[in-house]
Amino acid sequence: MISVRGVHKSFGGVHAVRGVTFEVGKGQVVGLLGANGAGKTTTIRMITGFLPPDTGSVAVAGHDTLRHSLAARAAVGYLPESAPAYSEMSVDGFLSFRGTLYGMRRRDRRNATERVLGLCDLHEVRRRRVGHLSKGFRQRVGLAAAMLHDPPVLILDEPSNGLDPKQIGQARRLIRELARDRTVLVSSHILPEVEQTCDRVIIMARGQIRVDADPKELLGSLREASPYIVEARGDAAESVLRAVPGVERVEVTSRPALDFDGTAWHTFRITAAAGAIDLREPIAATCAARGILIRELRREAPGLERVFLSLIEADEEGLPSPPGRGRWPADGRDGGGSPGGAAPQSHGAAA
Amino acid sequence: MIPAASAIAVREYRSLFRVPVGWIVIALYLFLTGVVFVSSALIPGEPASLRYVFGISGWLLLPVMPAVSMRLFAEEFRSGTAEPLMTSPVSDASIVAGKYLGACLFLLTMLAPTLIYAVILAAVSDPAPDPGPILAGYLSLVLLGMLYLAVGTLVSSLTANQTLAFLGTFLFLLIALLLTGDMAARLPGNIGAILIRLGLSTRMEDFARGVIDTAHVVFFLSVSAWFLLLAFVAVESRRWR
Repeated sequence: MISVRGVHKSFGGVHAVRGVTFEVGKGQVVGLLGANGAGKTTTIRMITGFLPPDTGSVAVAGHDTLRHSLAARAAVGYLPESAPAYSEMSVDGFLSFRGTLYGMRRRDRRNATERVLGLCDLHEVRRRRVGHLSKGFRQRVGLAAAMLHDPPVLILDEPSNGLDPKQIGQARRLIRELARDRTVLVSSHILPEVEQTCDRVIIMARGQIRVDADPKELLGSLREASPYIVEARGDAAESVLRAVPGVERVEVTSRPALDFDGTAWHTFRITAAAGAIDLREPIAATCAARGILIRELRREAPGLERVFLSLIEADEEGLPSPPGRGRWPADGRDGGGSPGGAAPQSHGAAA
Repeated sequence: MIPAASAIAVREYRSLFRVPVGWIVIALYLFLTGVVFVSSALIPGEPASLRYVFGISGWLLLPVMPAVSMRLFAEEFRSGTAEPLMTSPVSDASIVAGKYLGACLFLLTMLAPTLIYAVILAAVSDPAPDPGPILAGYLSLVLLGMLYLAVGTLVSSLTANQTLAFLGTFLFLLIALLLTGDMAARLPGNIGAILIRLGLSTRMEDFARGVIDTAHVVFFLSVSAWFLLLAFVAVESRRWR
């Protein structure tokens, strides 16, 4: 439903998007992540027809956004980042106006307005001016406007901006529901939201796609490399932990907490060697055998946030790949190796 | 194209009455033209005419029309509503046409109450005023206002700042009027003559005499169309920057 091929976009001398290529199929919910200036808004604006690509092509529902711009735009429901709406209009009036722009007849507009008011829980404010609404309500008005003409493709830029936790939950369920027969591209900086909502995640940095993968697979591969957190008693604990087979690195993560008798409790972050099995049992067994008391032993839960942050760090340091140790190619130079089993793909400059 | 353009026009027109600027502009215009009407048209012994009212009204349009046109695009760019508007399946030509038509509707609404001046004049004067110059006077105001609004639409499409849009339109119109008016008469040779031919003053004088010259009507409409075309290019070019 969305096809972005070799797209470049520059503003003056600044390359905002560099060789981005990806496809989104029907019924997929794709999360687009990236730090400020990563190029995700520019990419979204090219998909929605607000900006043309310098080179490359974008098609929505089979319509090229340049050659068949109006048809492509008609297939998209778009919620821009700040959900801009005419503040002097009533919610009803605004939705009716939007419906007219999408060529809807009066009766269709009325029916569609009722439908989206219900979906976005806006009935109570339908007669109020948009400018008098809270940020959360305005966001929902924007979401309602995006869904009004029942488009096959929904593009939502930060859809949960301004929503309270309950409304965020409702928005997630709504997005999942909408995705049954639609394509949804969600840009968000709230990573748990993307983890819970999306079938696929695309992470952009410096105008390129750095990760394009199923979040579950991505997190699964990270889980294998995720470090262990151990809180152990006594100064000998560190050397004991270093001696556990499969341990590559042991770091002390915080200042020791002193026990009633003056003995220190240390917290360690243990990194396993590549290919190591689950080290929790060996750590527990070794410590028990050597008389080291443990009061915490767990694996650090991987999250997209870690992927995201490590990617940004790698990018800032100019490293070829983030410190996930080659589980995804940073810019195509490391050839797509995926030792952890997950197979995230890169569609960056090398695509 | 037409339903979308008319929806944009209606939205634009209504929005001018939902913000103070629309009411202030109309109130100020009616107050000033009313003062001019009372002081210049209702003079015992003088022939019944609105000629002076139309002359002053034309000058009043110079600051008033930029105040109406300044928000047409600048406000959309400032508030971010340009993005959902320009990503809807509506051509840029429809967007420009809709916004311009909305502003023109406002112009007609602003001029409509001044018809009472003609009614009062007809009621109190004997003999009754000649309807020709009054009709021509109203037509000239509508055409002049439309031209000013077309210039304002172009300037508003170039900035996200309403104050800049107002000042840019006002100064452009003022300089154009001076260049093609008094200053042109002092310029030597063909340049002055060409500028005077391009100017509005001689055309407005013809209208004031009650002469509706088709050439003048076509001139006003075609110059307005040119500025609208430039506004369309300016809006379209935003997609390419």
